Parts: sequence; C-alpha cells; structure tokens
Amino acid sequence: MTLMSSSKTPSPPASTLNFSVVLSALVAARVALTLTGLPDVLRDDHQLASPLTSFSQLQEGIYLFNHGVDPYSGGTFRHSPLFLTLFATILPNSPRICSLLWTLCDGLGAWALVQIWRARQNVTSSERDGLIAAVYLFNPYIFLPTLALSTSSLENTLMLILLMFAARGKASPALLGLAFLVHFSLSSIVLLSPILLLLNTDQFSHLASPRPLATSIRKVVPLLGEFVVYFCLLALSSTLVSGGFAWIPQTWGATLMLPDLTPNPGLWWYFFTEIFDHFRPFFLMVFTVHLLIYIVPVCIKFQHDALYATFILLGIVGAFKAYPTLSDPGLFLSMISLFPEIYPYLRHPIVTSLLHLHAFLLLPLFHHLWLNQGTGNANFFYASTLVFACANGAAIIDCLWAGLRIAIGKPVEGYSIVQE
Amino acid sequence: MLLLSFFHLFLYLSSWTWRTSATSPDQEQIVRDFFGKDGSTSTSGHTNNWAVLVCASRYWFNYRHMANALGMYRTVKRLGIPDSNIILMLADDASCNLRNKFPGSVYANPGRDLDLYGDNIEVDYRGYEVTVENFIRVLTGRMEPSVPRSKRLLTDERSNVFVYMTGHGGNEFLKFQDNEEISAHDIADAFEQMYQKKRYNEIFFMIDTCQANSMYSKFYSPNILATGSSLVGENSYSHKNDNDIGVAVIDAFTHYVLEFMEGINKTSTKTMQDLFDSYDVSKIGSHPGVRSDLFNRPLDRARITDFFGNVAHVEVTPSIEAETPAFVPPTTPGQKSERAIPSQSALPSLTTSQPLMDMRWLNNWRVARAWTSVALLGALIGWVGLQK
Amino acid sequence: MEAEEANQGPRWKQSISRLRQKFKGGANANVARLRRRKAMISSLTRRLPFFKFALFVVGYIWMLAIPSPRLGRGTYIDENALQPSQVNTYWNWGDVHAADRYLEQLEALRDVNSTSEQRAHFLETEFKKLGLPASTQNYNFSSSAGLITGTNAYALLGSPRGAGTEAMVISASWLSRTGEGDGTLNLRGISTVLALAGFLKRYSLWAKDIVFVISDGYLDGMHAWLSEYHGSTHKNLQSDPVELTSGVIWTALNIDYPGHSFSHLGVFFEGLNGRLPNQDLLNSFQRISRNTGHVPVTVYDHIDPREAPQKVEGLVSNLPKILQDNPEIQAFSYQAKNVARHIGYQARGRASGVHGLFHEYRIDAITIFAIPATGPHGFHAIGRIVESTLRTMNNLLERLHASFFFFILTDHDRFMKIGNYLPSAVLISIAMMIQGLQTWVRAGWKGEDETKLNEKQDGSSGVTPTQQPKRRPVGRALAIMTVAHLVGLVVFTALTQRLFIENIQLLAPIMFILLATIPFIMANTIGDTGPLSLVLKSFNLCLASTVISIITVLNFSLASSLAVFLGIPLSITSSSSSILTRVIKTALYSMLGFGWLLLGHREILSAVHDWEVLQVWFAPFVCLVYVPLALQALTVCVL
Repeated sequence: MTLMSSSKTPSPPASTLNFSVVLSALVAARVALTLTGLPDVLRDDHQLASPLTSFSQLQEGIYLFNHGVDPYSGGTFRHSPLFLTLFATILPNSPRICSLLWTLCDGLGAWALVQIWRARQNVTSSERDGLIAAVYLFNPYIFLPTLALSTSSLENTLMLILLMFAARGKASPALLGLAFLVHFSLSSIVLLSPILLLLNTDQFSHLASPRPLATSIRKVVPLLGEFVVYFCLLALSSTLVSGGFAWIPQTWGATLMLPDLTPNPGLWWYFFTEIFDHFRPFFLMVFTVHLLIYIVPVCIKFQHDALYATFILLGIVGAFKAYPTLSDPGLFLSMISLFPEIYPYLRHPIVTSLLHLHAFLLLPLFHHLWLNQGTGNANFFYASTLVFACANGAAIIDCLWAGLRIAIGKPVEGYSIVQE
Repeated sequence: MLLLSFFHLFLYLSSWTWRTSATSPDQEQIVRDFFGKDGSTSTSGHTNNWAVLVCASRYWFNYRHMANALGMYRTVKRLGIPDSNIILMLADDASCNLRNKFPGSVYANPGRDLDLYGDNIEVDYRGYEVTVENFIRVLTGRMEPSVPRSKRLLTDERSNVFVYMTGHGGNEFLKFQDNEEISAHDIADAFEQMYQKKRYNEIFFMIDTCQANSMYSKFYSPNILATGSSLVGENSYSHKNDNDIGVAVIDAFTHYVLEFMEGINKTSTKTMQDLFDSYDVSKIGSHPGVRSDLFNRPLDRARITDFFGNVAHVEVTPSIEAETPAFVPPTTPGQKSERAIPSQSALPSLTTSQPLMDMRWLNNWRVARAWTSVALLGALIGWVGLQK
Repeated sequence: MEAEEANQGPRWKQSISRLRQKFKGGANANVARLRRRKAMISSLTRRLPFFKFALFVVGYIWMLAIPSPRLGRGTYIDENALQPSQVNTYWNWGDVHAADRYLEQLEALRDVNSTSEQRAHFLETEFKKLGLPASTQNYNFSSSAGLITGTNAYALLGSPRGAGTEAMVISASWLSRTGEGDGTLNLRGISTVLALAGFLKRYSLWAKDIVFVISDGYLDGMHAWLSEYHGSTHKNLQSDPVELTSGVIWTALNIDYPGHSFSHLGVFFEGLNGRLPNQDLLNSFQRISRNTGHVPVTVYDHIDPREAPQKVEGLVSNLPKILQDNPEIQAFSYQAKNVARHIGYQARGRASGVHGLFHEYRIDAITIFAIPATGPHGFHAIGRIVESTLRTMNNLLERLHASFFFFILTDHDRFMKIGNYLPSAVLISIAMMIQGLQTWVRAGWKGEDETKLNEKQDGSSGVTPTQQPKRRPVGRALAIMTVAHLVGLVVFTALTQRLFIENIQLLAPIMFILLATIPFIMANTIGDTGPLSLVLKSFNLCLASTVISIITVLNFSLASSLAVFLGIPLSITSSSSSILTRVIKTALYSMLGFGWLLLGHREILSAVHDWEVLQVWFAPFVCLVYVPLALQALTVCVL
C-alpha cells in the first residue's frame, strides 16, 4: 500500500504548505486516534506486541522493580534494563500519557525520516516532505503497534534518529543510538557494518553510478571502538540498575534462545513449537546465523550507497528476526519512500502490494479464528505469517533488484539485459 | 574397625560356601526330579506366578478397557495369584467417574451382575502413573530404591509371568493415555532384558487392542507364548454396551477369554491349546493370533493354570537341617550417634527490625541505582550531544 | 550483466521448440534463454483470457453443483467421547404429565396477557419449587428502532459430584423462531424445559452443571443473558447481572416447540456472523433422535418431498413429469433448497434461532425445532431425545473440536467439507485477480490503445510491457478509492440514524440517487480519462478478489454471494464514449450496487437492528466494502 502511494513522484504540483504545519497536522490526527478506544483493545495483540516489546510486560517489570523484586528473576520481563531505568525514573508509565508519548515519538520518527530524505537529496526542503511523513505516520504497520504501545515503535524512532545522524555524518550520536538500539533489540547488531560504512562515506544516492569504496578500512576502527565503549557503558548502566547480570540471559538470551513461544507475525515461533527438542539448539543456531549471512554480501554489493545497504538489511532483519512485530517490516516499507529513484526499476510492485494487502487482512482474521472463535487452529495463523513473510520477501527482493538494476540505466528499445 | 571388616569377610565367605553347597550337582538333580515328577501333565518348571495387567487408556469412554483389565485381575486372583504377585496398572477413572451412574463399581457385562471393582482391589499404578517408563521399569526391575515392594515385579528364573495389555493401539504400537506410545520393539527388548537377568521362566503375553498381533511380532527371547486379539489392519471390537452406564463395557476378545476362564479352577487340567481352540472368529469379530515359536513346550502340555493360577507343586519331605548363618547387623547402633549436629546457636539470630531496615535500605539502594543509571545515560547523551 | 541485441523479426512467431532447436548449438546461451522467456511470456499472455474465462466458468458451475447429491458425503461422528444414543432413557409419562401441567399454567398466563416480569416470576417460582436455585434478569436495549425490554428467568442444577467448572445450557425462548420471532409463542418448549428441570434433578450422573434459561423475546433476551453471563458489555444494553453463575458453558440446546404436536424435528445451526457449531453436535443429535426417539430429523423445517410425494412444489413442479420423478433431480432440488436457506442465513450473518447467539461465546449450540404437524410426536419424544442428548453432551471431556466447523449441510445426513466447496469462490476470485493484473499491465503501456496492445502482445514485438513503463496515475486512483470508502462510511452512519430509519421510504431513494451521482462528480473533478480508468479498474478488481478470497474462510456464503454479484460485473467494467451505453451502464451498476436502497427496506431495517442489538457485521460490511466496490466500478464506467 505504501509502495503504491509513494510511487506518486514529485511531478504533480505539491501544496506549498510549510512542512512543519503538515507534520503537526498529521501528528494531531494520530493523537486523535489514540483518544479512541483502540489502544486498550490492541494492547496485548500478538501481532503488535511481542513478549520482548509488550507494554503490559514492561509495566509488570516496572511494578516488580518498584516493589523490590528483581524483575529478571521470573520469565515475564524481557525488556532491556534501560527501559527500566527510564520508566522507573524520568518517564511516566500510565497508559494514557504513554500513548501520547509513543505518538510523539512516531512524529519524531517521521521528522527524522524527512531529515534523512533532505540530507540524501542535499536540500533544505522539498515537496516530497509531507508525503514522506504521511507514509510513515499513516502506515498501518507503524501506527497499530504504536497504538498498542509496543516498544518496537520506540526502537523504530531510535533507528530513524540514528540514521539521521549517520546521514549527516555525526558519528558519535549515531553510534550511541545504535548502541541503545542493540541493547533494546539484539538483532539490530546486523546494522552495525552498513552504518559504519555510511559514516565513512556520504549519504547521497550513488545507486545509478556504482564505484568501489573510496575510504580505507582503517578509518572504521576508531568508530568501532567508540561504539564498543558506548555499548559497554550502557551495559554497565543496565547492570547497575538491575543489580546484577541476570538481565543478559533474559533480554539478549531471549532473542537467541527463544524461551517464549507466544505467537507473533514472525517465522520462528511456530517452527520452534513444532520441532523436536534435540534439534532445537541446532536450528536456533541456523536461524540466528541466517540473519548474519546477509551482512557481507549486501555491504559489498552496495558499498557505493551505504544508506541503501542499511535499508535492505533493515528489511531483512524485520522479516527474519526472532520476535518481530508489524512495526519492523513497517519501517522498511515506509523507508521505500526515501528512494524514489528506484521506482521505475521495480519489477512487481503491484504483486508485493497485493501480497501485503492479503497478509494484512489474513493475519488478524486467522488470529481471530484460532484464538477467539476457536474454529481454526495454530496452522491457520502460521499460514498467514507465511503469507506475510512472502510479502516481506517480495518487497526486499524487488528493492534489491531495483537497487542493482538502476546502475545499468534505462531500458532501450530492442535491447534486453541478462545476467551472465 | 579392622576387626569389623574381618567379621564381614567371614560373613561373606560363609554365605558363599553355603550357596555353593546348595547348588551342588546332587541337589540340582533333586530339583529336576521334583519338577519332573509330575511331568506327564505339566513341564513348566516354575515355582511362582506373577501377573502384570495393564490398561493403557483413560477417560470415561474407555470404560471397557478398565473393565478388561479388572476382569483379568479378577480371574488371576480367583485362580490363586495373590495381590502381592499382581501388578495392576489402571487409569482407574471409571469407578468414581462423575458420569458413572453406579459410583464405585465397574461392570463388565450389560446386566451388571458382577461388580469387578468391589472392595478388594489393589491398583499398583494408578492414573498418571500408568506410563511407558513405569511399565518397562516394572518388567525389567530397574527401580528407584524408594519404590515399595508392592509396586515391583519380584520375579526370578522360576517365575511364570502373565502379561496382559489393553488399550488403543495400531501397527506395532500401543497408546498410553493419549500421551505416549510403547512400540512392539520396546516390549520385545524389555522381555529380552528380563531373560538375560533371569527374571522369568516363561511368559504368557496377551494383548487386546486394534492390530494387536503386530505387538508380539518383534519378540525374540525364548519361552514366550503370545496371543493377540486382531490381525494387522484389523480393529478389535467392543463386545457389549450397557445402556445405563452408557458406554461399551468390555471388548469382545477379552470377554470370550474371560468366559472361557470362568470354566477353569485351580485343579483344572485345561491347556493353552484348549484356550486357543476356543477362539471363535465369528463371535469375536476379529482374528485372534497365537505365537508359539519361541515357546519350548507343546501347547497341549502347557496348562492354563501355569500362567493364570498360582498352582505350585508341593512335596512334603523330611526336614533338612540347613546351616543357616547367624544374622548380625552390619553396624552397631552406637555408631550412628557419633556425628556432631551443628549447634543452632551458631545461626544468626533474626530480629524483626533488621529486615525492615534492610528493605528500606534496599529500596533506597535500588532508587539510587536507577538514578545513577539515568545519570550515566544522561551524561553519555549529553557528552555525545556536546561533541562537535 | 550484458546487453544483447534481441533478434527482432518474424521468427518470433515460431514456437518455443523451434527456437530452442535453432539456438541450441548457438554461441550464446543467453540469447536463447531470453528468447525462450519472451516466447513463454507471450504465449502465456495469449492464453490468459482463455484461462481466465475457464476459471470463471468452472467457479460458477462448481457453485451450482454444491447441492448435487453426487458431491459431499455422509455425516459421521468424530469425537470418541460422545457415545450418542447408547443409553436407556427414563423420561416417562409421568414427566409428560408434568409438562402438560406447566403448559396449562403457561397458557393461563398467556391468556391474561401477563407482562414479562410476571412470566419470569412465575418461572422462577416453579424452578424454586423444584428445589433449584433460580433467578430473573431484567434487560433493555436501546436501538435506533426503539427500546426493547424484557425479563429472563433461569435456574441452575449444579453437578451433584462435580466441581461445577463446566456447564451446559437448556434453553427456550418465549417467542418461537417461527417467522423469525413473529409472535408465535414457544409455550411447549418452555414447558419441556421446566419438566426437564424436575426430571434431570433426579440423576446424580451429571458431570457438568445444567443451566436452564427461559429467555424473553426472540433473540434479545438470550443475548442479554449471555452478555451478562460472560461479562461483555454493550453500549446500548442495560441489564441486571446474572447472579447465579456456573462454569464455562460448552454446549447448549435450544428447544423450540411451538405447535401442538410434531412430525419431524428440524435442526437449525447457523449462528451470528456466519458461525457454525461443531458438526459433532448436529450429528449426535440426529443419531439420537432417530435411534432413541424414533423421530425423523430434517434440516431446517424442510420436509423432504420424497417422504410425502403429493406435496411436490418449488423448482421441481415446473419440470416435466419424467424429470420430476427422477430421484437425482428430486434430491438435487431438495438439497438446493437447503443450501439456499443456509446461504440466506449465513451470508447475512443472521442466526437461524436462539442458539446462534451462543456461538459468539465459543459455545456449540443448536436449536431443536419441533415442526408443527398433526402428530405423531409430542412431549414424550422430545423429552427422551433431549435427555439422551444431554447424556451425550455430559460425556464430553473437552470442547467439541474433532469434527468440522466449516461445512455445508446439504441434507440432515449429508454435508460438504470445506475443501469441496471453498475452491468455487476462490477460483472466481483468482480469475478476478488475473483480470486485475492484466488491466494493470495494460494501463502501463505507453501511448497504445487496446487494439494495438493486443497486436503487440500477439508477438509482433519483443518488448514486454514492463520494459516500457509509463507512469500510471496510481495516486489519483487511490484517492478515488479513499473517497469511495469514505462515502461508504457516510452511508453506514446515515443508516444507523433514527431519522433515517423512521423515514426510510423517503430517504432511501434519495440516498440512492446521491450515490449514483457521486461517480460523475468524481469523474468531473478529476477530469482525466484513459489510464486512470484502467488503473482504477485494476485496483478495484484486485481489492474485490482479495476480499472474496479472504472472506471465504470466515463466511463462505457471503464470499460466494460477492463472487456472484461482483465477479463478472467488475471484470467487464470499461469506460465508453457513447452516452447511451454510459446511461445504461450507470443504471445497471447503480442497481447492482445500491439497488437494495430501493427494494430492500425490510432488509435494511433488520440488518441495522442486527448490527445495533446483536453486532452482526453484515450492515457495515455492505456499506464499507460492497458499496465502495460498486461505486468504484461505476466510476470506472463513467470516467
């Protein structure tokens, strides 16, 4: 859906409205959405909040913490201790205020997305700004998890902000943001190398004119060191607040060991409920390593455009990570709006959109048939997650293809292109 | 101490010499003669009888399986096997089921003439204890030390064992309570282990389930006679339904076996051949099978009571003065109390104010930690933000 | 990657095999591959129209064949625990006498025009006389049609030896389902429940609590009772809490016995929003009724004409005699009647009886309807059948799950599995999807009109449409679709206003005219023709196809109705230049999309009532999904 709407290029005369006005209006509309009864209904929906991102579990953890019980001693709280730090001290944790906070974070994310776009185009404002913000704020994959107060929405905002810094060449904030992000969601470590690459190159679009990497690898080392320092400081902070190391197996360990098999729109849970126990460690390793194998090829292939490499890897992480919510693929889909240059080279945008439309309708329907109505079973919902995975896969493959194809240029009548 | 160990050595040696003298050739001959004396009718050579009766299913609608097992229980008990020699594994949720119109009773016939449950039932493995693991442990005797004698199959090389199983099964497996399965290989291996550990003289294995005959097809240990209710690919059918209880009360095969058994008493000379000849396919509805290739005796020489009864040969002989060694407990009572018990006073005394203080202190410490952590984060963000 | 000159020319018309033969030994395998691929694409595009046509034909024929006696299979019982019809029943003439006594008292209450509260009080007292804890519950619904009030009475028989964590319900409503609650009273049904309460209490074998509910009105009373029992709140419902609660309700039987005596027991099973109970419940009841009660069972109140040959009616009566006597045609016509009734209930999300309310709470329930006749059965038969059915339900160890939840019952003992009927609608939706994608490709073709395009695709050029992209007006098409959906929302909001309901005769035609003009307004505002029409058509088809294929699992009847109404019409939308064709098309599509505003006033009222009182989503579905699709189709035609 976003694909379709975003393929409207800047050709029609856009309104000359000030971007900040447009953004405020969009955010205001979103705030109005939080005032409906929706947030309470969606709070514990499996598709919008995983055990690692659910707001209910966050509140549970904070309650335990405030009452002197180590929240990590049980099996319910799997959020990073940094969330504990923030919500036990400076941030409020009443659902009403939080839904406002979450929505404002989404607004911030949209603003950051527009900043990335501006940085990439090297302009101070453009006609497309409002559209990009709208594509982010009114992407149902983005705003439904936000209404459910899933912390994955905050991760998305953080991701966009750190990308904004990276695109502006501000290394320290970007690396600190990434360190935070990895603390919140371990799978984001995949994005480390393209972001380091981005910090060493520029953010402009070079998709049409690929060239070998100009910078030397030696420049990366201090940045990597800086990241490690931030990361360790955050780990120290986490240890400090939780009073021990119990948080490590409960947060990062959960991503790797998959102790909680609550259904989610990802691909892991069903597989690991069905598998025999003695194969479990092996397949956990396979599923984890599977995420990592994409890093090198994508970074090599898109060494000329690190932002695009980040974008592709973001899509891959969103589709294949351990505890995804709808907002993870949603971020990827909304980010397509940053790269209008690839649109003419997309091969099957309508197929991807239709797959997403099907998945978007099937996921809640089969979830309902299985868990509410009782006439379906787990296989129904699993089938819909497969459709969802196909849709995500189709989007990634198409973007990958278009990103490479653009380098060859426009097709010429009578000529075709084949791969040797 | 040294003295004590010498004493032990003496004990061991004396018992060894006694044992070797007991199995000296002439004594063995006496034993052989003893069993051979009645050779014209029975050649089994067993001195004791055991029965393992397993109902592998649970739930009200499987009433008939419980009735099957209880019917067999009644028969073997009537023919003289005492409760101490019967291992009964039963889900036992029929008699006291909420749906039972006749609480506390289990009937195996539609007229409800005979209450199989009565008040003299000893179920050794009940409810969720009826598992594949427990069944195999019973057979092979590999038990936790804490398991009481009544739950063990204390057989020896002179024991004839009757194993009866019923439940829902398929080709080469029998379901245990909708939860797990035992395969034909598992039972065959368990029997082989029993053979190697000299835990039986002969086994009679009977099974009533769908495709039952597949269950004994994997046996490979000697002296096993087996029979099952139905061929591979064939169902085993229930026999009769009681319209007040509302469910089928017994399976056909077991019903006709029990009917045959009603004509047997402890002095009966009916043989296994007679039992197998009594199978009537048209009545049972399935094709019962018999496997006797591992069994060393002709079927018409193997009495029913060799397995179902506890008919032991008794010979009154002039008393033999055997030298029984005196039993001395290995440790004297006085040794036990020598260990020092840690004194209670060494533990820190608990007062009421201390935990409260503790709590408050912990609470402050926790808040401090949280704020320190926030400060750390703030410092980090601030430092990064101030950086150019 | 490398660019290769494609070999253009008449050779392109050659078949794949000849190409392969020619290039097999060639220097460059890539060229061969490229050609092969292009040949494949062109042959595929050439065959696509035929394929699409075949899908439509097969889909529609399949739908028509659903009632055929040759398809489907006999019903069977899947759950081992049920053990139906295996018990002696002890309901006897004494109990029948008790039921007669209750009936007399109820008739007396009816004759003095007693209020709901008086009736409920009487029932409560009678239950208490039997020694059962009993209570009453007042409720009132406010809807745009007015206020609905009533009082339910209910009693609880706790499981004598059980923990009371599970329950089953025996219910009867004050109004019979005859004519969907047209005022016929269900006095005998209520008498049966009262007499059963006294009778069942004598047995100690109940593993579950039994709840006796006498609900007021037709559906509203039970809806209020169930909502309170399960603690779900509705904005427009005010009711007393249910004081006596039991465990989780697994199964429920609703007894509907309006006549003096009955010849058959009809079974009604469709619930709200197209939900069906587990088939095991139906099958158990049927087996018990035949074997224990010796009462024949039918689906709904349709008595098989083959049982009573003199009463030939309906479809068959118009056929020549020789065909009328053909058993297969007789069976088909009877089963077609059943299927049509089923689709009528399910597509509109309407419950075929009080049982349908239970399904919302995951309770398997059916209505036993005593089809009024002059004999031979009465209280004696129905009591025994219910007693035996309760014994069967009592045997359950877990919720009914083994048998089918998705089925079409073509006869009382025949049904179709989901796999045998679902593909019919899915095939049509696939055909629509193909049409939509084809239109999308066509819309992206630069500067060519349709005839030229076809020539191209026939193979005169090697350029496939994807290589010559043209900007499609996607944004504008999406904008039109958004507007169409907003219009749907406005229509829905309007329908649920009291003003509209009260003046429906006047306002519905006005709304019809407004709806029919909206596409013209949109077309004039946008003022662009050509590819926009194609893109909109493509999106419309893709959306309709998605909706149909997804709804199939939720409510097959609705999906197949959509497939019938939208399948062909949406596929043949096109803009035309002639004014006359435009006018005709506008009229036709308006009638298809909004004709219900002119013709179906009663349907509108009942659909709105169902939405407001029972949360049946048929009305919002029509307004928010069906109307926009039709609006978009109309827009395609006028663009």
